[in-house]
Amino acid sequence: MAPSTTVSQRKKIKRKAPRGFLKRVFKRQKPHLRLETSGDLLVHLNCLLFVQRLAEESRMNAFENKCGVIKKEHVQAAAKVILKKSRG
Amino acid sequence: MADSYSQDSEPTTRTLLRRVLDTADTRTPQRRRSAGIGAQKSLLETPSSRRLSSSTKTNARRRSQRARSIGRLAHVQTSGHLEEQTPRTLLKNILLTAPESSIMMPESVVKPVPTPQVVQSSRQESIRGSLELQLPELEPPTTLALGLLAPGRRKRRLRLSVFQQGIDQGLPLSQEPCGNASASSLTSSLNLTFATPLQPQSVHRPGLARRPPTRRAVDVGAFLQDLQDTSLALASPDTVLEDTQPFSQPLVGHSPSVYHSLPCLSYTEAKDAEKAVSHRTQRSGPKLQNHSPGKPAQLLAGKAKKVDALAMSFPNTSSAIAGEDEVEPLQGGVGENAEERMEESLSVSEVKDTAGTQGSVRTDKSDRNETSEAVEAKEPEGSSGDENISGRTASPELASSTTEFLQARQLQFLESAPPPSTAILSSEPLEPLLTRLPPRARTLGPRPRQDPHKTGLNHYVKLFSFYAKMPMEKKALEMVEKCLDKYFQHLCDDLEVFAAHAGRKTVRPEDLELLMRRQGLVNDQVSLHVLVERHLPLEYRQLLIPCAFSGNSVFPAQ
Repeated sequence: MAPSTTVSQRKKIKRKAPRGFLKRVFKRQKPHLRLETSGDLLVHLNCLLFVQRLAEESRMNAFENKCGVIKKEHVQAAAKVILKKSRG
Repeated sequence: MADSYSQDSEPTTRTLLRRVLDTADTRTPQRRRSAGIGAQKSLLETPSSRRLSSSTKTNARRRSQRARSIGRLAHVQTSGHLEEQTPRTLLKNILLTAPESSIMMPESVVKPVPTPQVVQSSRQESIRGSLELQLPELEPPTTLALGLLAPGRRKRRLRLSVFQQGIDQGLPLSQEPCGNASASSLTSSLNLTFATPLQPQSVHRPGLARRPPTRRAVDVGAFLQDLQDTSLALASPDTVLEDTQPFSQPLVGHSPSVYHSLPCLSYTEAKDAEKAVSHRTQRSGPKLQNHSPGKPAQLLAGKAKKVDALAMSFPNTSSAIAGEDEVEPLQGGVGENAEERMEESLSVSEVKDTAGTQGSVRTDKSDRNETSEAVEAKEPEGSSGDENISGRTASPELASSTTEFLQARQLQFLESAPPPSTAILSSEPLEPLLTRLPPRARTLGPRPRQDPHKTGLNHYVKLFSFYAKMPMEKKALEMVEKCLDKYFQHLCDDLEVFAAHAGRKTVRPEDLELLMRRQGLVNDQVSLHVLVERHLPLEYRQLLIPCAFSGNSVFPAQ
């Protein structure tokens, strides 16, 4: 099994993809376009990876500032970098 | 005989035993024996009698040490051997005497032996039989048991009384002692004593014995309130479904649809509206400040009337209102309106919906104009009412327009003669009703657009906090939400471009793969399937990665 899925979690993390939510978001943004069924899941995968990278970056920022808590500034700086990366 | 014994080193157990023995002496076990434990005793007695005949104490002692445990021997034997003061002998004496002395209802206990008890009696015999074997080995624990027995006797008595109480209440108290298969036979014999009184009462169905249900006097008012609430709740799915319109259209265009879509809801809500309305009419018309305390009977009658009058009264009132709207100036009811709006700000929200429906009934633009004027006239007057109004108008258009209608409705109902059928309601019970219903009506109001969007985003925010593995500030989480929004926008734009580049209007997985490739997530070393396998659960993996199945079929089909 993939390591991410086998990590013991204290919190309950839902592994389900909010497919309805994703579909709705896409429809709102691009009502003239259609999204395929499995495309939904790939979008979810993409979001997961994005969030992972963002979290990792924020963590690194917080460590660099020797902070035990992730703060808004860390997230902001991380978002700048990661959004630029995932521009495509 | 027993008195001659000297006190030994263990005062507690032995003294207790002495007492036991002393008391036991007074009652000859033979009498009790005849009360009938079984043939086993007689059988046991014969060998004991044989042993009695043997003269030597030692011989008799040895044999009786076994036989005594088996049967209830004569005191002669026991007393004769008590001089030795071994724990075994003392215990045996107690065994001989204790159950008999502990039987509170000697005959009544023993006599009723229904069939289930046969098992237990046989069990008792088997226990006794086991005792025969066990006692020689149980010497060490006997000392402990001795200590337990005497206080146990008192406890037994208590237990019995408690147990009988339990029987009366139908509680299966007897199960607990029955469960203990303790070494001492006393408890097992006691199980019998406990069980026997239970049997007659629990012959039918012991497990099903229940306490009589405590009945409280039914509060008619609360009952009717509950009825209304349930009817509201039943109707609420309609509102929920209907009110999920993300965009709020102007009421005029919207209200007919609202009206048509909420036939049943309007019915129930109109009831509330009528209640509220009549409440207000009562207060304003006769200006009664003192309301009679709510009488359930009145309430009941009122509600019945409301139900009946609903269909009829609305058109009547609407026509009357339309007529009177032009006639009556605003001034008369303005102050009252302001007051009542302030006082009933809580009930406004629920009446909003009703007013909406009522407004839809009328659907008169003239009314609307007048009501808007009324609103403007009222607003400067009601200072605290202003806040309410502004608060209301701040809410989505639907609500604000309904408030206008509400105020208009208030006006009209105040000034016009209240519908006779609904007027005669006590207002006090309406107030608690109104105050009870508004909190629920608030949630039934138009849902803000953000909610489903936010819940979806929150899913990813939670994932973020999970991946971060560090405590986070709330502001940071909000920042994450914003980032996610931006990200989704970028994502959709990119997908559109890719699909257009491929000459398609549907976004397909190939577009997604291209996007991920451009993002750097997928490269020659790491393919999309690898990522899918890593991060997605099995169900999704099966949907995404084509897999060959039997019969030369591949799913998902390529």
